[in-house]
Amino acid sequence: MYKLVVLLVAQIFAILTFSAGFFPQKSVSKGDAWFTYRPDIHEQIEPRFGKLILVVVDALRSDYLFNAEMSQFSFVHELLNKGHAWGYTTYANPPTVTLPRLKGITTGSTPNFLDAILNVAGDDSSSSLKDQDSWLRQFHTHHKKINFFGDDTWLKLFPEEYFGEIDGTNSFFVSDFEEVDLNVTRHLPRQLASQASWDVLILHYLGLDHIGHKGGAFSSFMPPKHREMDSVIQQIYEAVDEDTLLCVMGDHGMNDMGNHGGSSAGETAAGLVLISKMLGKFEKPARQKNVELPLKVKSDDYKYLTSINQIDLVPTIATVFNFPIPKDSIGVVIPDILQLFSPQEARVKLLDNYYQLTGSTDKRNEAYENIFPVIEEMRSIQNDLAKVATDYNYYLLGVGLLVLVAVTSVVLIECVKHSTSYFELLPTFATTFLLSLSTFGSSFVEEEHQLWWWGSIALAASSYIKVPREILCHVLILSGLRLIRGWNNSGQKYVYEYTMSELLKCHHQWLWVLNTITIFSTQLSGQSEHLVTQMTALFVSSLSLVYKAAWSITNGEPVPFWLQKICFQTLGSGGDDPVEQIKQNLVPTARLLFFAVFVLILIEIARQRISSRGDSRFFARIHSLTTAIMILQTSSTNIPQYLIFGFIAAAIETLWSKYYGTSIFLLMNVGLVLQHLTFFQFGSTNSIATVDLTNAYNGVSENYNIHIVGLLMCLANFAPSIYWSLACLRALYAKKRASSKWETFGRSRLPALLFYCIFGCFLLASCVIQRYHLFIWSVFSPKLCYYVSWNLFMNAIISWSFESVLVALY
Amino acid sequence: MSVKKRATPKKSVSFSDDETITRSRPSSDRKHSVSRDSPPIYVKKTIRTAPLHLLGLLYYYLKLSDNFDAVTLLYLLVPFQIAYLSLQFNKSTVYGHKILRLRTSLVPICLGATLALTIPCLLIIILLGAPIAMLLKETWILAAHCCLLGFPAVYSIFNCNFKVGNFKKYFIAIAVGCWISCVVIPLDWDRSWQEWPTPLVVGAYLGAFVGYSIGPYL
Repeated sequence: MYKLVVLLVAQIFAILTFSAGFFPQKSVSKGDAWFTYRPDIHEQIEPRFGKLILVVVDALRSDYLFNAEMSQFSFVHELLNKGHAWGYTTYANPPTVTLPRLKGITTGSTPNFLDAILNVAGDDSSSSLKDQDSWLRQFHTHHKKINFFGDDTWLKLFPEEYFGEIDGTNSFFVSDFEEVDLNVTRHLPRQLASQASWDVLILHYLGLDHIGHKGGAFSSFMPPKHREMDSVIQQIYEAVDEDTLLCVMGDHGMNDMGNHGGSSAGETAAGLVLISKMLGKFEKPARQKNVELPLKVKSDDYKYLTSINQIDLVPTIATVFNFPIPKDSIGVVIPDILQLFSPQEARVKLLDNYYQLTGSTDKRNEAYENIFPVIEEMRSIQNDLAKVATDYNYYLLGVGLLVLVAVTSVVLIECVKHSTSYFELLPTFATTFLLSLSTFGSSFVEEEHQLWWWGSIALAASSYIKVPREILCHVLILSGLRLIRGWNNSGQKYVYEYTMSELLKCHHQWLWVLNTITIFSTQLSGQSEHLVTQMTALFVSSLSLVYKAAWSITNGEPVPFWLQKICFQTLGSGGDDPVEQIKQNLVPTARLLFFAVFVLILIEIARQRISSRGDSRFFARIHSLTTAIMILQTSSTNIPQYLIFGFIAAAIETLWSKYYGTSIFLLMNVGLVLQHLTFFQFGSTNSIATVDLTNAYNGVSENYNIHIVGLLMCLANFAPSIYWSLACLRALYAKKRASSKWETFGRSRLPALLFYCIFGCFLLASCVIQRYHLFIWSVFSPKLCYYVSWNLFMNAIISWSFESVLVALY
Repeated sequence: MSVKKRATPKKSVSFSDDETITRSRPSSDRKHSVSRDSPPIYVKKTIRTAPLHLLGLLYYYLKLSDNFDAVTLLYLLVPFQIAYLSLQFNKSTVYGHKILRLRTSLVPICLGATLALTIPCLLIIILLGAPIAMLLKETWILAAHCCLLGFPAVYSIFNCNFKVGNFKKYFIAIAVGCWISCVVIPLDWDRSWQEWPTPLVVGAYLGAFVGYSIGPYL
């Protein structure tokens, strides 16, 4: 047992070391940039604008600005048609989450993958841009005053001395659509009235992103939000003069599910509009001529008007405000903007950008005639620079991989030593190697759920061939699995319209009937017949049902009338507006539920300690209580899956104890397969984009603690896996065994440890071998992150720590 | 994704207790210690059972046919399978120490049974992961292919008084062929042969080829 703990610790050490080497901090050049080409001429150039207003609308996809079907930005369209605004589709480099994108927008550099994780992890000073050159820093060194209102990610990135007035809003409350934006807009009238007091105004609106996360790209909340943003733009436009450049942009896009983080067309296509009355005097960009905005034609790759890189904004701002381009920028100035300068000045500006980009002082391009070949060349240089991966720390990579290989071989020997026959090892090895080999193919990583499905039907079918007389049991298991498979779309390749969750969304009556049955049956079935425990189970399930229904009501999802009535009567009474009242009662209700379950678990443990030590139903009761938490952390359309889980678990337990000689390895292998299968069939994928944040705030108030939110997020995303992990534990101790409880526990941890070890060896090797692969940051790195979280959360925390505590108390 | 057809064995389990035939031929062929109730049924270990026509059909399907036309392939498969049964498979099947003559009247009955089997087979394929709401026709065609590939075994089961045991492996071989071929579906190569159900049809043919070729040795 101790040996195994040492192995586990060594394995985690290995993968963390590897990750530290694989996701290094990018080396950044410190200090301020200076003009690279003819600084003397630059100093005489007048800035074209005096003031900059940057309005970042989070997740503003290009079609939200330009497409007739989607866009409600009628004022922006009017400006675009008048020529007072120039529209672009910008390519946002993945990972398409806010923090790395803001780094890109301000420094012009390509993001570091680690930033995507830090975006979720929150307060971490390592992501600060304090020392790195950015246009904010340039404004600051030129003694311009910057006022900032909106997403507090900016305040994490930049030191406070850059800013004058600030008011940060929190980006983590995904269910808040309005207040988060009103908190920004309320500053506008005063700021616009006192324009002399600032030079740069940055506004970052989060509402649109929140709507996307909650309701997808076609949410009914979208059009009103567009109009709200449009009116903000109008308000600003009408208050400012020619000397102000207003820049409206999305930091990234979103896919049709409303998620972002990956590299699909929708996620990387962010809109950008440069607005100023002065632009009306110049020619519109070529692609904007002769077209009427909003565009009627829908573009499948979201490329509307001129396509540029999002980081091109950085040299563009630097150019028009006439300060040096930040050092790490690999942006190329937007060619249209050069019209604002005289030909000589434009030439100087362009060459400055060229030299800054190439880092050379080679003068061969000095005598160009047309700007376009130069721009073209710069674009290709930019492409090359963007591809250059961050420096890997090969020492750490090597140490991590070697330690993991060493651990793996020891675990392998342990497994062979502890198994009773080679037959029981076979499924574990088959699953492990099948999945391990898949790590070398990017499409297998993306479609990992297919492999788990493939493995699980093979297990079920081979079990049937072994015990043909149990046809009912096997049909039950297979039908259950098939239903689960049809519940959600997973992976990136196929999207089926008729998934169970979509069907249930359309038939909400059925959904809530199923949810009610699920919630009550999971609670009541696990408890003893004792009246008091039955009553508490009833209480927990009613509370859980009311909470889930209330949550849906506040988010505008349809809830059947009978349930609405219950919610209004329990949570909604007392106030004028019942919905508002429910909203306020959500947090206390969730807390009460967490608290109740926690107390019940404690009571259960106490009962176990005092009276019936060794009672095998202990695990069943703990399992059903934790299921209450899991259900709370699951979105409402997925809840009925737990009902199916119950049937499958019962069938598997019967088969296993009857026909498989209670082989621990077989059971744990089945558990491992089901943990992964259900994880993916809850809608998760191996992409950062599908990390579910909606359930990470249950019972968390405004001033949230990042660790609690992180824990709730993990619980929400791994809920079905935790269910199966505990279901296996429950089956494991259902009957008295000859071996001691710790021996059983130790042996039961081996298959999963073996899987994570071997799979890890292959994945790490695959990441090293393919470190220059095109998909390294969009496919393999996210997979590595998921692998680390499976190891840390599912294996170390749940399967080893939590379950060992339960076993110790048993 | 699909495996298939263990419906057949199931259905006939009830028949395997039927002792009328065995009793009607009392101990004439009991030379060695075979149980009275089960005359030996096996397929001879010979190269003759290799269904080469399946490879030919596969070549037609992948190279010659227009856009992987599985329907035409199905029409072609029927005569080839009957010919294979009469010329190769049946001549290698031993029942009670002798090779039975092909009962021509049984062939259409078995074809009918095969056709009927496509429905349970379709359900099994769906149970194993095929889409329900879309591509149902394609899935049925796949089921028809799988059943027809199992046709010689179905005939032998009918002919040998529904003794399933020895012929189960042919169905399993087809199922495993289908199952393995699913690997190509997630690949992002965007080839036309990756579309449902082409890889599974190919897998079923290869599975059947391997199954019928080495089945007797297992």
